[in-house]
Amino acid sequence: MDELIQLVRAYQKTAELADRERLGDAIFSEIEPEMRRYVNGKIRPQYADDVLQEVLKAIVTSLSTFSRLTDDDFLKWCRGIARHKIHNQYKANAKDSERFQALPPEEIVELVGLSVAATPLATGERLDLAYAMKLLAESKPECVESLLRHYVDGLDYGEIAEEQNVNYDAARMKIGRCLETVRELVA
Amino acid sequence: MPREQKQAEAALQKLGQRVRAGWAKKHPISERSRQTVQTTVREVWEQEQKDRRAKLFTPKIPPPPKNKGKDKGKGRGQEPEI
Repeated sequence: MDELIQLVRAYQKTAELADRERLGDAIFSEIEPEMRRYVNGKIRPQYADDVLQEVLKAIVTSLSTFSRLTDDDFLKWCRGIARHKIHNQYKANAKDSERFQALPPEEIVELVGLSVAATPLATGERLDLAYAMKLLAESKPECVESLLRHYVDGLDYGEIAEEQNVNYDAARMKIGRCLETVRELVA
Repeated sequence: MPREQKQAEAALQKLGQRVRAGWAKKHPISERSRQTVQTTVREVWEQEQKDRRAKLFTPKIPPPPKNKGKDKGKGRGQEPEI
């Protein structure tokens, strides 16, 4: 069983406050950075931290109802809650905060560097990462959003479809086309 | 799907893993978020205790018998009232 899910199951089973606090801390130390990145990508900076707190509260409050099986399911469920809170924020601010803020290339490089400092690159990984950076650099702006959301943020086609107000197949085909176009361009 | 497409996908997925790992290093959980989580965990727990106590001390009133006053005597095997 996935590590995060084990923590969630333990949280759901225990009735002791001290255990719940300890497990809650362990769960949210894992998922808070994910949720922060997700929210920061969608909300203007002045609202982002407040929205993040709303997201965390909503996740804790609903934690007892989560019943799926994998870490990916859990993160997807958390992102679903975040999406609703972000949507509420858009409504409250007359949509003026709606936007997608792609990670700038220099920040991607910095984040990769931080990761590499903790876990060194495997053989051939440097080439793969350089290739991926090139693919993003050569992509059209509307493609960068979809590629980052899918491959970097880990959203599935259904979540991207919901975000972009298109159907599942349209989201899947757009990502496929974007990747194919830029791959041919870079080759 | 051609092999090149899969290679491109794999490269982007590796980049994604690295970016997520780097982000978690750069932005560990903030003190504000930790506090929000602890407060909400406690509130949820207190609400559960309150609900549990309320359930324990609520006198159990038996539900009214079905069809009381209606269809009296029309049950199977019963004689109709005269």
